[in-house]
Amino acid sequence: MKDTRPRVDISKASDDVTRRELLRRAGMGALVLAYGASGAKTAVAGVTRFAGRELSGTLKILQWSHFVPAYDKWFDGTYIKDWGQKNDVQVTVDHVNLAELPARGAAEVAAQSGHDLFQFLAPPASYEDSVLDLRDIVQEVTKKLGPMTRVAQRSSYNPRTKKYFGWPDNYVPDPVHWRSDYWQETGRGPNSWEDLRQAAAKLKSIGHPIGIGMSQELDSNMAMIALMQCHGAYIQNEEARVVINSKQTRNALKTMRDIFKRGMTDEVFAWQAASNNQAYVAGRLSLALNAVSIARTLEGPPWVVTPARPDIGDVTHINPIPKGPVQRLGLEHVMGVYVIWKFAQNKAAAKQFLVDMQLNYTPHFQNSGFYNFPGWSNGVKGGFKAMHRLTAQDKHRPLGKYTILTTIAQKYTANVGYPGYSNAAIDEVWNKFLIPQMFAQVAQGKMTPADAASAADREIKQIFASWRTKKKI
Amino acid sequence: MSVAVEAPRRRRDVLEERSVLAPVLIAPAVIFIAVLVAGPLLLAIYLSLTDATAGSLHGHWVGLDNYREAWNSPIFRRALRNTILFTVISQIVVLVSAGLLAHALLKSFRGKWLLRFFILLPWATPIALGTIGFLWIFDSLFGVFNWTLVHDVLPGSHAFYPYKAVNWLLARPALPDWLEISPIDPNNPPQWLGDSTLAMAAIIAVHAWRIIPFATVIFLAGLASMPPEIDDAAKVDGATGFRKFLYVTLPLQLPIATVALLFGIVFTATDMTVVFILTHGGPFNSTQMLTTWAFDTGITSGNLGLGAAISLYLLPILAIVAILMLRFARRVEVS
Amino acid sequence: MLAALREKGPAYLVVGPFAILLAFPFYWMLMTALKSDGDLYNVENVPYKFNQGSPTFANVEFLFRHTKYLQWLENTAIVGVLVVIITLILSLPAGYALARLSGRWGQSVGIGIFLTYLVPPTLLFLPMSRVIAELGLQDKLMSLVLVYPSFTVPFSTWLLMGFFRTIPIELEDAAMVDGASRVRTLVSVVFPVSLPGILTVVIFTFSLVVNEFVYAITFITTSSERTVSAGVPTELIRGDVFYWGALMAATLIPAIPLALLYNLFLDRFIAGFTGGAFR
Repeated sequence: MKDTRPRVDISKASDDVTRRELLRRAGMGALVLAYGASGAKTAVAGVTRFAGRELSGTLKILQWSHFVPAYDKWFDGTYIKDWGQKNDVQVTVDHVNLAELPARGAAEVAAQSGHDLFQFLAPPASYEDSVLDLRDIVQEVTKKLGPMTRVAQRSSYNPRTKKYFGWPDNYVPDPVHWRSDYWQETGRGPNSWEDLRQAAAKLKSIGHPIGIGMSQELDSNMAMIALMQCHGAYIQNEEARVVINSKQTRNALKTMRDIFKRGMTDEVFAWQAASNNQAYVAGRLSLALNAVSIARTLEGPPWVVTPARPDIGDVTHINPIPKGPVQRLGLEHVMGVYVIWKFAQNKAAAKQFLVDMQLNYTPHFQNSGFYNFPGWSNGVKGGFKAMHRLTAQDKHRPLGKYTILTTIAQKYTANVGYPGYSNAAIDEVWNKFLIPQMFAQVAQGKMTPADAASAADREIKQIFASWRTKKKI
Repeated sequence: MSVAVEAPRRRRDVLEERSVLAPVLIAPAVIFIAVLVAGPLLLAIYLSLTDATAGSLHGHWVGLDNYREAWNSPIFRRALRNTILFTVISQIVVLVSAGLLAHALLKSFRGKWLLRFFILLPWATPIALGTIGFLWIFDSLFGVFNWTLVHDVLPGSHAFYPYKAVNWLLARPALPDWLEISPIDPNNPPQWLGDSTLAMAAIIAVHAWRIIPFATVIFLAGLASMPPEIDDAAKVDGATGFRKFLYVTLPLQLPIATVALLFGIVFTATDMTVVFILTHGGPFNSTQMLTTWAFDTGITSGNLGLGAAISLYLLPILAIVAILMLRFARRVEVS
Repeated sequence: MLAALREKGPAYLVVGPFAILLAFPFYWMLMTALKSDGDLYNVENVPYKFNQGSPTFANVEFLFRHTKYLQWLENTAIVGVLVVIITLILSLPAGYALARLSGRWGQSVGIGIFLTYLVPPTLLFLPMSRVIAELGLQDKLMSLVLVYPSFTVPFSTWLLMGFFRTIPIELEDAAMVDGASRVRTLVSVVFPVSLPGILTVVIFTFSLVVNEFVYAITFITTSSERTVSAGVPTELIRGDVFYWGALMAATLIPAIPLALLYNLFLDRFIAGFTGGAFR
């Protein structure tokens, strides 16, 4: 802490004089290091000595307090220390609550100082003007690993400004958790939304309703947009034009209203992000949509501090998002996107850190309990096949339940704003909970599907117009 | 005689001192506040007139576009209405409660210290954490209110379910229709944070919970600072009870009470912690306040200019209310 | 006996219910904090009793062992005390001057000071974070010490102004007739008499510091520099899992000693008056 100032000056000076040179060197360093990481172990020493000459000073990272505390412990205690030693950089990590990220991000921009690497948990398209275009390292890593996944690309690139505003290091697939014991009584499984509609009444009558939120929180947002997608309804099209006021949206609204009326209770309007986890873990819900945090919570330590609940865990299955009349397509649960501020003081180290992390993502994938999936699927060597193998090794019952995650991540996970890009307008629609609002109003009978869709259409069009005049979409 | 001659001169001395002393005493506070608040405030006003984003504080000048755009959103208008409703109702609750409490606490009675400790507890709690506590109390599944409502609370065989009593009350025809309260279904208990009316009530209750102790302390301090001579004088004049309160206590307390009320209003209208944590504006954005809506727009979504405009909407209204109230307090005091 | 009841009955009737209402959440926090997770997350359990035998201190232990809770408490106390001092230094003279010394322009200044308080902090934190960074205080506790007086000083100034006005002017005149200078009168007569007001300001300022949330989370991200309000949610809310037991313990622990302290303050200032400041 005490000696940051002089270092800052050094990096600033070099920054002013030869920023381009520095970037070039960082790229080279990354390249060489990439060889080192993927190649023979003996090469490491030589490579790091080279890298050590290039990088120096401190690297300050800010990211969320991970759902898996053990991941943070490993990341803070082992990973960054090793990396720092190899690269002669002192790395520090600060964690904040996921809800605090936007405020702190805005504050750092206003202050024009803060961390070198800042991880958002949704594509931070509105910060484009304050962050480095990461095209160089994206290309660097793409050269090594092949193209990044579509969901990652659409969450980090702005086609209008042709800029990579972020580094999509990971995304989190969003499966359905369901209880085979309760569902057995309905004679179905949650394979399609129609199955949910048919089984809803029975499940509610046995005291174990379906739990899909329609509240002001992340899980609800993502579940409702996924439901829309399955019905072929979208917020925007590929050209970032608002297309929400459609027959497909109205169909999705009707489906949800039906499911709610038959098989859910008012609790879903009151939920915050933790509520569906709690209700599921308490044995109340027969189905919930969430990242694997539910399944992992049931397994107890080391994932969480609460004791394991094998009685529920053993009958909990993981499925992809139910199939709709048009398709089966869910959303990412969260999208980890690092940015490097233009005012960051150690850009070279920040870039290399990202590159190195991506080139060998396997420990991140494993330590997060298969929560983080890499933005470049080959970041886990061998890609989805290898991830499938790793998930198959998980010993929790029912055995092999996590293997489906790989399929979900590969086939059924879209970015927010699909089929378009995750842009600033989509982000605003998301942050204002306009989609859950639309569904909740219909489910509570306060609005007809048609009215709700057109009301949402008006509000969303205004948001898009606002960002269009800012030349961001 | 000599005293009469000396008095004007002394007064003149004091007068001379005043014109120097007053600015000297005030200056540090004014300078501090000006640097720390006035500057940023001007910047916020400037931002509201531009299309700045969280990612770039330098926007283009757009005039009053942001104010117009904000107004066009139905959610904004609801937020404006909510803010006013929330502020007025919670302040009424707070004033009445704190007034009663302060008067009651002036008397001495056994156990007063302990009871006062209980009353002070909310004020000693970081509000962000206190609200998380309420999140747990109102929890959709484990909430203690709902548990109490729908379970037999009398041990033994006399089954007494509180919700049945509530439903009996609700079935009285005297209740106005607009209340929109349906009977409690034990299998689908009321969702305190999931129904727009109940959620508003919950927010108001939590805010009142938080401010009552603070207002009580201010009133108590004000009452305690009343010189006992005045009490005696009132007794001599035969003013007691309510008359005494109206003609003696109230006028004397008015400056302090006004300040307490004003700060209560401002505190309620400009602080977002309770709403943000408790409902985040839900369900379906029906409990958004200007503060949370501005935050979701300007910070979380990065539409900074618009967010600034939303948050500044209330400023002129508050300023007018404040100036009127301060003038009023002043006049009452002078007369 | 009956007379005593008639005399004091109403006080109990008012204070009793309020005490129950206001303190209930704390009773509930205590229950939650002392329960094991297995007990807590079982819908079948009666929430008013410990269904798995005796209370557990596991949550409290977690708080102190696995988080920097103690450090956060210390930080909060440091910020609180420093801000109280700064606030008093700035607002005592200002409040007095506005109450007694200034004429028309003073009134305008007073209203001006008040109006700064109307500015919603929702957005103010952005430009302020710039100020903080320019001063090199980002991620340091001192950033809060600097910023918090911006909202405690306006309030305290106005509150003190109100208190000073309730002090009979004859008291000061008497002192000055005795030959004391105005500043001396201020220090030796006015301030002691305004002890209730000053203590109120102390309580208020301190609790405002403890309460503040937006600046606390945006100015400081380094865990060891955080205050209770900001540190606790970061460590105990992880994505979509809340550690309720530990959260409730974390809320309860500072509340109890602080409320005790405030209560003692209240005793002190009420005693100060009935003890005969005027007699």
